[in-house]
Amino acid sequence: MTTRRTEYPTGEDAAGRGAGPGFLVPGGVIGDGRYRLVAQFGVDQRMNAHFWRAQDSYLRRDVALTLLAGDPGDAAAVAAARRTLERAAHATTLNHPGKARVLDVLSQGSGIGAGEGLIGIIVADWVRGTDLIDLVAEYPVPSAIAASLLEPLAAAAEAAHHTGLVLGLDHPQRIRVTPQGTLFLAFLGAPAEASLHDDVSGLGAILYLLLTGRWPLPGGPEGVPAAPLGPDGHVVAPRALYSYIPQELSEVALRCLSGDSIGGIRTSAGLIRVLERAKYIDDETHQLQAISDDDDYEDDGTVWTTRRPSNDRATRRKLAVGVTALAVATVGVLAWLGMQLISFFGDTEPGAGGPTIVATAPGGNPQNGPPPPQPGEPIQAAGVRVYNVKGTADNPRRATFAVDGDLKTAWKTDAYAQPFPALKPGIGIMASFAEPVPFAEVIIDSPSDGTVIEIRTAPTERPKLDETKVIGRATLQAGQTKLQLDSAEPTQHVLIWITTLAEGNVSELTEIRFLRASDN
Amino acid sequence: MEQGAQKKAVPSLARATGSMAIATMVSRLTGFFWKLMLGWIVGFGVIQDSFTIANTLPNIIFELLLGGVLASIVVPLLVRSHDDPDGGQTYINRLLTVGMTGLAIATVIAVALAPVFTRIYMDGSTGKANPELATAFAYLLLPEILFYGLFALLSAILQAKHVFGPTAWAPVVNNLVVMATLLAYTIVPGELSLNPVRMGDAKLLVLGIGVTLGIVVQAVILLPALKRIGFKYKWTWGFDARLKEFGGLALWILGYVLISQVGMVVTQRVLSRGDAGGVSIYAQAWLLFQLPYGVIGVSLLTAILPRMSRAAADGDTQKVVDDLSTGSRLSAVMLVPISAILTVSGVAVGIALFRAGATDLSQATRLGTALAFSAFGLLPYALVMLQLRVFYAMKDARTPTLIMLVMTVVKIPLLYMCDAVVEPGQVVIGVLLVNSLTFVVGAVLGQMWLWVRLGNLHSKKIITVIAKSVLAGLAGIGAAWLATRLLMPGQIDSMLRAWIVLIVQSLIGGVVMVGVLMALKVPELKPATSRITRLVRRG
Repeated sequence: MTTRRTEYPTGEDAAGRGAGPGFLVPGGVIGDGRYRLVAQFGVDQRMNAHFWRAQDSYLRRDVALTLLAGDPGDAAAVAAARRTLERAAHATTLNHPGKARVLDVLSQGSGIGAGEGLIGIIVADWVRGTDLIDLVAEYPVPSAIAASLLEPLAAAAEAAHHTGLVLGLDHPQRIRVTPQGTLFLAFLGAPAEASLHDDVSGLGAILYLLLTGRWPLPGGPEGVPAAPLGPDGHVVAPRALYSYIPQELSEVALRCLSGDSIGGIRTSAGLIRVLERAKYIDDETHQLQAISDDDDYEDDGTVWTTRRPSNDRATRRKLAVGVTALAVATVGVLAWLGMQLISFFGDTEPGAGGPTIVATAPGGNPQNGPPPPQPGEPIQAAGVRVYNVKGTADNPRRATFAVDGDLKTAWKTDAYAQPFPALKPGIGIMASFAEPVPFAEVIIDSPSDGTVIEIRTAPTERPKLDETKVIGRATLQAGQTKLQLDSAEPTQHVLIWITTLAEGNVSELTEIRFLRASDN
Repeated sequence: MEQGAQKKAVPSLARATGSMAIATMVSRLTGFFWKLMLGWIVGFGVIQDSFTIANTLPNIIFELLLGGVLASIVVPLLVRSHDDPDGGQTYINRLLTVGMTGLAIATVIAVALAPVFTRIYMDGSTGKANPELATAFAYLLLPEILFYGLFALLSAILQAKHVFGPTAWAPVVNNLVVMATLLAYTIVPGELSLNPVRMGDAKLLVLGIGVTLGIVVQAVILLPALKRIGFKYKWTWGFDARLKEFGGLALWILGYVLISQVGMVVTQRVLSRGDAGGVSIYAQAWLLFQLPYGVIGVSLLTAILPRMSRAAADGDTQKVVDDLSTGSRLSAVMLVPISAILTVSGVAVGIALFRAGATDLSQATRLGTALAFSAFGLLPYALVMLQLRVFYAMKDARTPTLIMLVMTVVKIPLLYMCDAVVEPGQVVIGVLLVNSLTFVVGAVLGQMWLWVRLGNLHSKKIITVIAKSVLAGLAGIGAAWLATRLLMPGQIDSMLRAWIVLIVQSLIGGVVMVGVLMALKVPELKPATSRITRLVRRG
């Protein structure tokens, strides 16, 4: 997981006019027009401090800004901000590779214009590097590397503490990683109430974060999973999460965090000694595994503190997958039952009509279609031909006998050895008309009982079979069979398509008559 | 696709809200009415099927090209561009130039590919559907893409300037144009030849061009409003670098649309294999299905949603959970009784609304039956919509897409099972049933993943309320069914009779359900009823 960051080129497009609340957007200009915001690197919600990379438009260089947002009318906030600014100003006296150099401290009236919505800005050198959170987002850092990463920062804290200076290390987004592979404090400005000990517990928290990828202090940033809490309400040891972490490191992280209680570490000197040794521990880094599901972690530990410790996210996840699988299975069964029920309802609909009138919609169910068109006058086909898709056509020259109005003449199929579709999918007669006509009925005289006929519309005289559309279907009875068609959509070509032959695998059509739909 | 159309910016001015609500309501009503007219005039058959599919195509393509991007990227940037030195003029001009040029090219390509699209969405192999006719409609309707785009961009620009009126009323104008088109369709002589399909048929041209014209008018009617806010268009080519920032988020949203389209394609193919009229019955029943959520669900949740989104953005898990729980429970109390009434009187609803003109009894009955079989999905649907909002508010566009993926994976085999098991004529009922069942899966999945992320969701409390509502619903169904059995036995065969049955069943069922809910001491009943009475009084 990579924390989403907004980075903009600072061309003319991004030029901003600033002012007013909600102006903290890339391209915005603050500090009486001196600093143009480039990208946000985090926010410390507890003190409403926003961490930004910005460009100093006087000196044309990049700076790291800690913006203390707040209402200038809020006396308490202003006092806290003043304290933060004072501490940052003191920090200018300290130069250490573990922290960025403070360049300037701005407050309301001196460097910050009215109406900017800010009550303090701390300007520091911008040092290239990467986010600490990004470093641990994919997987935790091996113990030895964690120790060597943290050491310069701990040394900076130690140096600062000697002069009574609080750095404010208890927020992971303040910390960044240099290309040389050390941690440094990029965004200065310790909270007003922070003590020396808070720095130590901050170091412990950073160590915890490096080792486990989770943040153990309250008020961590969004997107970083919170450390799980044990039954006693304290965070569990890093070693409990990853057994390869050396006991000593795991313990020192916890002791830094627990601070005032018995066994707690109160100065960074103690921490540095442990880190020195840990740098050379060759832990089983090959055991490192990516946290498979880090993406979905969110700091919600507080919600579950009263619950049984076993009820953690991994268990929940398993349970969630299980319940979902169960729901899918249930839904599958319900779908099948529902469909049976639908079919049951469908069957109860009244069936087809009388003995010779075979009214057929394509579904085989007369209730399905739109109202059957009323039959009007008979209409004579302009031409007929045998429609055959495979092999040779059956008696092609006798096709006209089926429409000649003479019940003595007939068109007959070949006699087949096997029923359709063994040799052919079917055989048929294509009737073409002078113009598109809406048809209502087709009446077929045939002696071939059991022949199954489909009436299909066709786009041309010689279409492919799949270009035709079924508008009626019936099983012929010896004598006359009326096929009521389910739609009166006009068509110029009608196919009488035999899909099943009568007994002896031969069928005979004596006469086919077409009735157009009446106009009402 | 209906979901996509609901994405409207929430008005920020209290004064605008009142007239906006009226406009939205009128636009919904007129939109619903022209769908009814379509049923009456064209009937449920091959023509409406083809028209329906062809008419959703431009919507789908627009949604894929620009829909998600617009809501999640362009609008926020529009607001931000106000701080540009020129007040955002260049940005807007550039947006219009690039956006409309892109859409124009896309439209040309889409029109050229119309036969491909209709064959993707329709399975003509059983001879029950007519892809040629759909293609003919698609040639006439696909140019809508360009005007959907223009409308979307212009309304985004206007809304960013806090001008809400014209954008809210424009769809009403569109609906009126479509209604006029349908009337013209009845007057124009001739018939729609289905085989072969002829592009020159007067009715085909009237329907196709008229409906497209509606969208054109809807977009063009915004131009005066744009002039009034002092905007002058100038051809400005170029790409705003700020657009890059949102790439990742948009990709997941695009994925969501794409996956839902896969489900849509299979749905339409199964429907068009089934029986003529299936596609149209599905579309109309789905519209009816969404109506209760659209009217009651949305108005109920408008109070909760913004609050919940804010809490989620602030990372205040506890508040999110509380609001989610309240929203779920209120939805249950409101929607389960409606589901119950729809289940028992679905057929009556179908006949009451559609048994007129070209629609015959059996088609109206089938539509009603489909509604009855899918009505149980109302609450799961609302829950899925609610959970989506929570995920998006937590800036998580990924989980909704994955949930959609699972839903689609469940849906597709069920749809094919429907194709195999159910009689062709009844396929549409099965498809709607499957639709509702996948929302059940979605709701369970969403709830579980929210639980994984947020912790305790008070699910027990929610399930208790749902159980009580279902119990009340069953009692209501029983009472309504018994009452109609005793008071007016026999088939429902006319519109009048259907209305009487519907009213009697709703009244009896409604009273029984409220009674049972009160007896079970469901506390959520109170805000629900008071909200309805307030709504009624306002209306």
